[in-house]
Amino acid sequence: MAFWVDLLLTALWGGLLSLERRAFLQAMFSRPLVAALGTGFFVHDVQAGVYIGLVFELFHLGSASLGGSHPDHETLPSVMAVAFAAALWHASGSTSTLAIWAIAILLMAPMGPLGAFLEGLIDERARKYAGRAQTALTDGDMTQVGRQNLRAMWPQFVVFGLLSGLGLVLGYALVHQYLAIPLNMLRGFAWAYPALGSVAAAIAVRGSHARGRMGVAFAAAVVTAALATIHFLRTSP
Amino acid sequence: MNRLSNFVLWRTFWRSLFLQAGFNPQSMQSLGIVFALQPALRELYPDEAKRREVMQRHLTPFNTHPYFAAAIVGGILFHELKIAEGKGTEAEVVHFKKALMGPLAAIGDGFFWHSLRPAVGAFACACVPLVGAWAGLIFLVIYNFVHLWLRARLFRLGLHYGDALVAQLQAPRFNVWAQRLRLVAAGCAGGLAAWLSVRFGAQVGGSLTLVAAAVCLLLGALALWLVERNVSRYWILYVMGVLAILIGATSP
Repeated sequence: MAFWVDLLLTALWGGLLSLERRAFLQAMFSRPLVAALGTGFFVHDVQAGVYIGLVFELFHLGSASLGGSHPDHETLPSVMAVAFAAALWHASGSTSTLAIWAIAILLMAPMGPLGAFLEGLIDERARKYAGRAQTALTDGDMTQVGRQNLRAMWPQFVVFGLLSGLGLVLGYALVHQYLAIPLNMLRGFAWAYPALGSVAAAIAVRGSHARGRMGVAFAAAVVTAALATIHFLRTSP
Repeated sequence: MNRLSNFVLWRTFWRSLFLQAGFNPQSMQSLGIVFALQPALRELYPDEAKRREVMQRHLTPFNTHPYFAAAIVGGILFHELKIAEGKGTEAEVVHFKKALMGPLAAIGDGFFWHSLRPAVGAFACACVPLVGAWAGLIFLVIYNFVHLWLRARLFRLGLHYGDALVAQLQAPRFNVWAQRLRLVAAGCAGGLAAWLSVRFGAQVGGSLTLVAAAVCLLLGALALWLVERNVSRYWILYVMGVLAILIGATSP
């Protein structure tokens, strides 16, 4: 029963976020940090939501839809990865770990380009609604003209909702493969998470589009490294 | 001059939030524009034949930044009010839309997509070590304080000033703020890369503390070097990921 509730909530959340991302409001609920956090809340793994969302937020920091173009879909991989990670540790009976987060990120990252491709197809399909609006206007049915704008949201909601739910299903489906991973490889995946975070942060420096970004990022990195080292030295037993 | 009730203005503004719902490559945001204008046009043009003619005027290709579109929707109402009172011409409103959609899209893309969003996103990520999950709320509150305030203000500017909106828009120094915000994004991202590395080193502990932190930082630096040379970020992510897995798996 819990599985079906989680699946329904994940699919609804993913579908609504896909609308918020493009069709309605754009208040950034669909940004990875927020979208992943929300997914984590629904699938009872807020920590995975925060830390997977952090990596995807940095990775997609600089992408933008300019002039109606389709950048990589940053919401879909974030939601799918958190749902996948949560399902994996629920099904395997372990806890949410760095290794699971790294596996989820590496498996779901290609959903970004896939989401952009699907969005392009959905846009093409929306020509139909524009045509219907024109026909309705010619026929004098003006109420229908505006309604076509809202009807065009359904395909986005359904497609991205289903895909979001698929993340959870995949987590349960691949649990045996996860349990078969040797221990040293799991340690490797655990090492990969902070490395992926560091790499995503480096990509975010480029994504900032700032002039003089290298100098600022380097200075911030040196200061933070110094402060963090002092902090960890003081707090370590 | 304003014959539209506050209720209709609110409905128009609310509907303008759905601007991109029916986005398509042919007419782009035109369905959204007509959807937003419908309540106001119903009040301004009670005669159905006339209203149909006006809707046809707006069911033409249109594309701009979704936030800055609020200014254009407000400006269209400004012109349609004049036309309904017999003081303006159809050509004026068509010209207004065509003249402003490009420049406003450029300002919006530069300020929101390339500056404010990366800056707030990176800042929120940098808050994760300090406040954990609350970082998501910080993102939403800061971003939407600016976004919703500006969107409502742009709608009012368009409604009250029409074409003169351009002069009003020069007041906020978008470009200057954009550059500052981009530097905030770069700084937060750089700091976060260092924090992740040092924290990871501390987690590994023992004799590997320094090695783990250094490997993590080096991979980040290498990624930055590669991405600045236009190497695909997906390739970078996977190559660095595989390297980290191999180092981790073979470490003592």
